[in-house]
Amino acid sequence: MNWNYFSKRFGQALLTLATTITLSFVLYHAMPGSPAESLKNVILSQQAASGSGTVDLERLNRMVSMYTNIQPDEPLHVQYYQYIHQIVIEGSLGTSIYENKPVTALIFERVPWSMFISVYALTIGYSLSILIGSVMAYTEKSRFDSVSSSLIIGLNSVPYYIVGLLLIYVLAIQNELFPYGGRVGSNVAAGFNVTFMQSIVWHATLPVISMSMLGLGGALTMRGNAVRVLGEDYLRVASLRGLRRSRIATQYVGRNAILPMYTQFMIGIAGVFSSAVIVEQIFTYPGVGLLMYNAIQTQDYPLLMGSLIIFTSVTVVGIFIADVTYGFVDPRISAGGTDE
Amino acid sequence: MSDPIFEVRNLNVSFAGSRGTSRVVRDVDLDVYREETLGIVGESGSGKSMLASALLNAVVEPGTTTGTVTYRPPDGPAVSVLELSEQELRRFRWEEIAMVFQGAMSSFNPVMRIRRHFRETLQDHNRNIEAGLERAESLLESVYLDPDRVLDAYPHELSGGMKQRALIALSLLLEPQVIVMDEPTAALDLLMQRSIVSLLEELQATHDLTIVFITHDLPLLTKLADRLTVMYAFQLIETAPVDAILYDAAHPYTRALLSATPDLDVAVDEMHAIDGTKPDPVAEIDGCSYHPRCPLANEQCVRTDPPSTSHSEQHTASCFHYEQAPAAVPIRGDDLAEADR
Repeated sequence: MNWNYFSKRFGQALLTLATTITLSFVLYHAMPGSPAESLKNVILSQQAASGSGTVDLERLNRMVSMYTNIQPDEPLHVQYYQYIHQIVIEGSLGTSIYENKPVTALIFERVPWSMFISVYALTIGYSLSILIGSVMAYTEKSRFDSVSSSLIIGLNSVPYYIVGLLLIYVLAIQNELFPYGGRVGSNVAAGFNVTFMQSIVWHATLPVISMSMLGLGGALTMRGNAVRVLGEDYLRVASLRGLRRSRIATQYVGRNAILPMYTQFMIGIAGVFSSAVIVEQIFTYPGVGLLMYNAIQTQDYPLLMGSLIIFTSVTVVGIFIADVTYGFVDPRISAGGTDE
Repeated sequence: MSDPIFEVRNLNVSFAGSRGTSRVVRDVDLDVYREETLGIVGESGSGKSMLASALLNAVVEPGTTTGTVTYRPPDGPAVSVLELSEQELRRFRWEEIAMVFQGAMSSFNPVMRIRRHFRETLQDHNRNIEAGLERAESLLESVYLDPDRVLDAYPHELSGGMKQRALIALSLLLEPQVIVMDEPTAALDLLMQRSIVSLLEELQATHDLTIVFITHDLPLLTKLADRLTVMYAFQLIETAPVDAILYDAAHPYTRALLSATPDLDVAVDEMHAIDGTKPDPVAEIDGCSYHPRCPLANEQCVRTDPPSTSHSEQHTASCFHYEQAPAAVPIRGDDLAEADR
């Protein structure tokens, strides 16, 4: 491992993270009726509804600052400093206006559920696409190849949430095979027991299926990679050397064809997270995505910023891991590139 | 001397394509003698590589190979190569006959160290791995490579010449009887070509190898080969010991090929390209395949394909007019060429 490379990548990752946070922060504040303003309105209307009469401006500002970690009457760069300061020093992302709980607590309560469905969706999607892609490459130009090519292109053109809606309609509403929302049955006691787990898996099935459609497009990439590898000289030499077929299929074709998909897979983590917003909304699956969706609906500024930061971090970490580990998977990269 | 290790009879290789069937090897008969170096020479696209691949029954899909290729091991019964099952073929390859071919620059799996290539070859042929790796080290030394450095290297860390030599070492790992070299030096510079050629000569002497060497580089072959066979338009047209080809070529094509070979000692205006173009692999050729370009061609050549006839001992050529050929197609440096000036 090359430390120079490592630190360079690490620096790049940090820079990306910082840029995204700054941009979201600045853009959000540039919106007409800044979050502080809208927050004031929210609080005012709440106060009005509860009938506690007038609120003085100072108290209002204090409340806004309590929720968002920023002083609304300070200039933008000071607000920014305050916000970042809170994240770095106290690990606080503010307080949700709607739920009135710390944003970090809300997010981390939801993260495992989102991880659960997205990890399975990614794994299933990519395993399937590698499998289908390899079979397509081996049977190039056969009927299977052309049929599945068109099918996958078709599936790729149909947005995954349409697939999700269809799944709900056919499997949940018409046939009642699967639940159409939630993450666990309402009458199932939480705990380490079989019924509870079954219920979790049951509820996760449809979201996982519709999300894994996203990874399935990889089958065409895999097919292309494998066809390219099949034409390589080292493959011909391997079969001339009388190596076992299984060895050639896994170590020669498989390994070299999967390599380029590794980065795609890591970046796919980001795609799955962002698609979680839509999928979780469709299936009313209470993960981070649904949290974020609700935050947008209720203009819950601290929560929205918080989940944005979490999404960005996960993406950046995924790409960073891909970058750093690629050298182990493909010796030609050797985690350097400069020391050829 | 006439102890053939390979007997090729009536070999045909064809590919079905959209323009019709390409017959890229046509009715080839060939003997390869034990422990000789046989050179196969011919222009690009004449079918040399396909002929070589057919020796290992390794013609790439969707090509079909018909005819017989008989391999006679030093002990044991003869093997009909084209009838081997997949398992038998897997054993046959590299244990009896190894092949080093054009793409040696990318002959190694880019994600595996060289050592692993040697190891898996030993494993899949059920050899003793420790003894095999020791042998690998001595083989690498004999091709002037540093075994420790090369075995621990990834393919991209080696130069083209090093990879080529490593592949030659790998091809000798299982002590094959025959090694087929398909333009092994095409991508290398002249110096490396020469050193590989002399290396092959040494290896042949120490390992009792039979070498089939394919190239379009005629001068290179004359230094290395015992016998030459000339391929034109998917057929072998002349086969003879090297000296007989060089000084007494019988086929007009061979003579024209010799005249066309660039040589620094000869003035440019004495070098002659062969007029015309080579035939299309899809075309069915009536008569002699060379007749459209041959100065000696007559009615007979257009109508009938000349059979392979013995010109002298070990020297066969497929031409009706081989007796007139020396006069009609002079090779530069010949007296006639002198008289021309």
